[in-house]
Amino acid sequence: MSPEAAKVRTRPASGKEYGYANARLRGMRSRLFNRAFFDNLIAAPDIKTLIQDLTATEYGPDLEDALIHGRDAATIEAALKNHMIRTYQKVFSFLNDEGLYLVQTLLGRWDIFNIKTILRGKHIDAATDEIVEGLLPAGQLTAVELEALAGGEDIKTVIDTAVTWGLPFAGALREGYAEYLETESLADLELALDRYYSTWATQRLKKRQANSRLALSIVRMQVDTLNLLTVLRAAKESLETEVADRYFLEGGRDFSKSLYEELAAMSDIDEILDKLRETPYGKILDAVAIEYLSQNSISVFERSLEDYLMRHALGLAKGDPLGVGVAIAYLWAKQNEMTNLRIIVRGKAVGMPVERVRGELILV
Amino acid sequence: MFNNRLARKVFGSTFLLTMLVPAFATAAEAASTEPFDWRVSVTKAASAGAAMSISAMSAGYAQAKIGTAAAGTLAERPEVSVWAITLQVLPEVIVLLGFVSAIIIAG
Repeated sequence: MSPEAAKVRTRPASGKEYGYANARLRGMRSRLFNRAFFDNLIAAPDIKTLIQDLTATEYGPDLEDALIHGRDAATIEAALKNHMIRTYQKVFSFLNDEGLYLVQTLLGRWDIFNIKTILRGKHIDAATDEIVEGLLPAGQLTAVELEALAGGEDIKTVIDTAVTWGLPFAGALREGYAEYLETESLADLELALDRYYSTWATQRLKKRQANSRLALSIVRMQVDTLNLLTVLRAAKESLETEVADRYFLEGGRDFSKSLYEELAAMSDIDEILDKLRETPYGKILDAVAIEYLSQNSISVFERSLEDYLMRHALGLAKGDPLGVGVAIAYLWAKQNEMTNLRIIVRGKAVGMPVERVRGELILV
Repeated sequence: MFNNRLARKVFGSTFLLTMLVPAFATAAEAASTEPFDWRVSVTKAASAGAAMSISAMSAGYAQAKIGTAAAGTLAERPEVSVWAITLQVLPEVIVLLGFVSAIIIAG
């Protein structure tokens, strides 16, 4: 990324030695919240009790720092975010060279997520503060860099800044911007970013070692997820097959171009789900089909696919004890913990019913 | 368990040598009909040395691995220090076995 983003690291292990890092990660994993603790937080009568419960955990120092600015949901969320970034930095500081390379490739998706958030914010003329609230600097772009990007006047300014800084995805953004100007649709810009990330990550993880293959499986599943959601959205919004075909991303695991085209030609979600039974995603999507009918929203499928991806990533910890899977699983578990906490805090702030909050969480 | 190529080599050669070297030494002794054969003494000394040194190297390798993991665990969970020390000293048994083998061989 930008030269300023390069961090000087001092770590005890180099090369491919995972013994130290994985033992440390297992120790950190034992401090992640369990189901009972989440139940306790959900049952908290108010946000004040929730803060008290959280202060007694390792989130304490970050919460104490943030609570100087107030005791509302936004402040707690900022503290949770800070804690997650601090934890990620800590993991990077002791991970070996190979592990760091693989993990940072996977976390590159956060840079894409953040840029997408900024572009979406600019597209709807959202305030800079609102955009910054939605960012999560877990990739290689720092909070300061992201804030500078979010401070841009419009989409063009953001892209110009990215080009000036020489960010690797700036080229993709420029290409996507040309189409965006014609169609006024953010989907073209987002597609350019997704294409860039899948090509970049696949290229970096092309090696034949077991650890690279493990990390690549995650990227390929993410590509599958994006393709699946595109097909489902196209069917729901009755998009033409040619339009849907444009949004296909190469590099998926179980989702070939021929299957994508076949599914894109279908107009009925039931038909798509029938066909998907041949793939590992069939069962997961089938399980939420009824919920989709009641809510009539693709986000139901999106959530269940995210859940599947999360469980897959967490399962990597059960593989090679001296491999990168332990680090990937921990980082995903930490992100999931933070997402769950944010849901609880938001739910508590707006008085959401306990059962609804529980339903929104991904508890593993 | 043995994903590391070096670990496979060390453990494999240790196993083979601890089985083969005493066998060769005994065979050399049995084959000798002379009251004193210098070859027997040399073979015995070499075998005892091999048993001792290889077992010591293996224990060192195991302790290095356990020590690294223990350092990582203790950085996050200092409360398991007793377990870490116990696991750290366990490979000493390998050296002791090598030592006993060396004594028996040198006889």
